Amino acid sequence: MNKNKKRTDWVSKIPNWAWLLISLIVAIIVWTLLSLGEKTGRTFPPLVEVFGSYVKMATTRGVFWGDVGSSLLSAGIGFALGFVIGVPVAFLMAWYRPVRYIIEPWIQFIRNIPPLAYVPLVVLAVGVGRAPQIIVICIATFLTISITVFQGVINVDETLIKAARVLGADDKVLFVKVIFPATTPFIITAVRLGISVALTTLIAAESTGASAGLGMRIRALSSSFEVEPMMLYIIVVGIIGMLAEKLLKMAERRLTAWQEKREI
Amino acid sequence: MAGEERNLTPKVQIKAVEKIYEGRNGKTVALNGVNLDIYDNEFICVVGPSGCGKSTLLNIIAGLHEATSGEVLVDGVKVEGTGVDRGVVFQQYALFPWLTVKKNVMFGLRLKKDLTEQQREEIAMKYIKMVDLEKFVDAYPKELSGGMKQRVAIARAYAVNPSLLLMDEPFGALDAQTRTQLQTELLKTWEEEQKTCFFITHDVEEAILLGTKVIVMSARPGRIKEIIDIDIPYPRDQESKMLPRFTELKNYIWNMVYKEYLEVQK
Repeated sequence: MNKNKKRTDWVSKIPNWAWLLISLIVAIIVWTLLSLGEKTGRTFPPLVEVFGSYVKMATTRGVFWGDVGSSLLSAGIGFALGFVIGVPVAFLMAWYRPVRYIIEPWIQFIRNIPPLAYVPLVVLAVGVGRAPQIIVICIATFLTISITVFQGVINVDETLIKAARVLGADDKVLFVKVIFPATTPFIITAVRLGISVALTTLIAAESTGASAGLGMRIRALSSSFEVEPMMLYIIVVGIIGMLAEKLLKMAERRLTAWQEKREI
Repeated sequence: MAGEERNLTPKVQIKAVEKIYEGRNGKTVALNGVNLDIYDNEFICVVGPSGCGKSTLLNIIAGLHEATSGEVLVDGVKVEGTGVDRGVVFQQYALFPWLTVKKNVMFGLRLKKDLTEQQREEIAMKYIKMVDLEKFVDAYPKELSGGMKQRVAIARAYAVNPSLLLMDEPFGALDAQTRTQLQTELLKTWEEEQKTCFFITHDVEEAILLGTKVIVMSARPGRIKEIIDIDIPYPRDQESKMLPRFTELKNYIWNMVYKEYLEVQK
């Protein structure tokens, strides 16, 4: 027990930002070791070269920021649409059982199909360009968000609803002042999963007919075996995800401070 | 004077109330022909084994459940759905975790359009003081102990000024010491505010300590077995438990409840 306590003290003495730094340093060391290997070196080029390829992509070819912007735009709009459609659908499914019985099987059905499979079908309908990218990301985020929020709504504590009713709440008050706030932690989780799905769907969404974008570029660079810039792009996708998560954490702290949480 | 105080029309009339649940395993008769009159300022305590339908009866009076047949009248008006004339305190506190103590107490007041925001605050503060939680007005429920949470729930129920207070094992989840403390506080409040109370409990001592009447319910199908007038004078406190009459009533009621409990076991 005592030994264990001592150890945790040592761990908590180091601030979080320092841990992040340590994590980064360890990653760089592991990467460097991998880059020295004959075979692993093909996949993990020296980091200097990976980041050096930024000059090639941003200055020589001049596509880097256009790719980042294009992907953020597609992912952003797709996610926003998925959210705007997913949340009301979730509430409708929880409120009216027929809606649930009809729609839930569809969601469960489509959820397990990889987006890459239906991208060509979307392109057939709406043509190439930004529209199919947005639609594919919208579908993927919608599925995740609606299911997650739906779980949250049906898990609202029954006695809170009873308590509100006996205090004089009608359906509208019940929805706005009880069910909605009770569901916010689930909505935040849905946003978190939705962002992650939007980013992981990018490659599929940009696989047909996109003229710019992180996903499109990763595929293009892979077919010309340009490993360094490809790695750079992959790292960028990861960083965007981490930044989004950071922003969400900040919002979460403000919105759900009331929640009972286990401190880990 | 004392004769005038007692209104002859009952505050609550429970008439031949029956509740049948239809489940997968057939019908369950939860309540079977329950008749009861509750008068103004009475403190009715209901005891009985688990599954005797006491919570069902409370939910029907509250308007949260519907009776299969029969009816409940409050002040002569048939109960159809919930109403702010009937406040409810639940065993699980049921506080809104995203609201502070003050905002929880103000929840019902905010739905009363004829009050100004300042009046709402004043009323809320009055009842927060009554339950001795002034220091915690801005605390969230997660920061409170079980006993404090239940105090907030009681203040919240009082704040909307119901004429009838329904309490469903409100102290059931609390430790013995906190429970004793809250019983004493509730007694004091009732003696001051004289609201009609309908209080469900497992605890025979608690029922006798608080109630003007104790109602013993029988197990499945739930019926009223006996109504016992508790002739121990108010003001009462924990010392009242030492009275010989208290012990006598306790033994009598406890035996009756125990017999019902054995019936359930069969």
